[in-house]
Amino acid sequence: MDLDKQDKLKSFEQQALPLMPQLYGAALRWTRNPSDAEDLVQETFAKAFMAWEKFQQGTNLKAWLFRIMTNTHINLYNKRSKDQAKTALDDLEDWQIGQGESVTSTAVRSAESVALDNLPASVIREAMNEIPDEFRMVVYYAIVEGLPYAEIAEVMDTPVGTVMSRLHRGKKLLRNLLHDYAIQEGYGQREETEP
Amino acid sequence: MKQLDCEDVKRNVHEFLHSELHESELSAITSHIANCDSCEEHYDIEIVFNQVIQRSCDEAPAEELAERVMKRLREIQDHD
Repeated sequence: MDLDKQDKLKSFEQQALPLMPQLYGAALRWTRNPSDAEDLVQETFAKAFMAWEKFQQGTNLKAWLFRIMTNTHINLYNKRSKDQAKTALDDLEDWQIGQGESVTSTAVRSAESVALDNLPASVIREAMNEIPDEFRMVVYYAIVEGLPYAEIAEVMDTPVGTVMSRLHRGKKLLRNLLHDYAIQEGYGQREETEP
Repeated sequence: MKQLDCEDVKRNVHEFLHSELHESELSAITSHIANCDSCEEHYDIEIVFNQVIQRSCDEAPAEELAERVMKRLREIQDHD
């Protein structure tokens, strides 16, 4: 085996492999279960390694890998092509998603804040899993990974405006789901029953 | 500087928290919030919500995954 090949594996191992936890986190959001997430991570690394010469050193490696993951996921699971990925939810008006936030009173919101904070992580993850893929991924990249909108747009291959509206709507959908759950389970009930 | 009303301020909460606003918009919002309990609450709950989401998404991959991936990469390298 020649030296170039060794160097290629070595540089990939040093630069890309340490990003495995972040890739796994994103893969779990795409696939919603650990075993498929592991497969997706492995396939993403495999594709990235094959294309390693094309990666421009100095640019954002994590975003490059996330982008490969998006394509890999779409291919692996034979998902709808990207131009059909726009979901029916994108076409809804904001009021149709529910809960006009500005009319909620301050007292109720404080209670909601406490209730949210007390919800178990498993409940949050289940709620995340219930919203459409494209919304879940934008919420994840923005909030957990802290990627700028422009980078999310590149990773998801959508315009920045779509990233913004999917973040807003994704969070609203999540909050509605969690709000329903909190009421059902009696979290923050005390505050809710105030006159 | 343009005067912001509560609706403007609330609508910009995500862009504010994700540092997607310009300096002038940031300072306009910051000074509005300082004098508006309702908007402050609105921002606080989004901050709590973001923290809750971050906390719930911190699963680590199994240790074997790194070995699996390296094995796969070596196979690719050998066939190259």
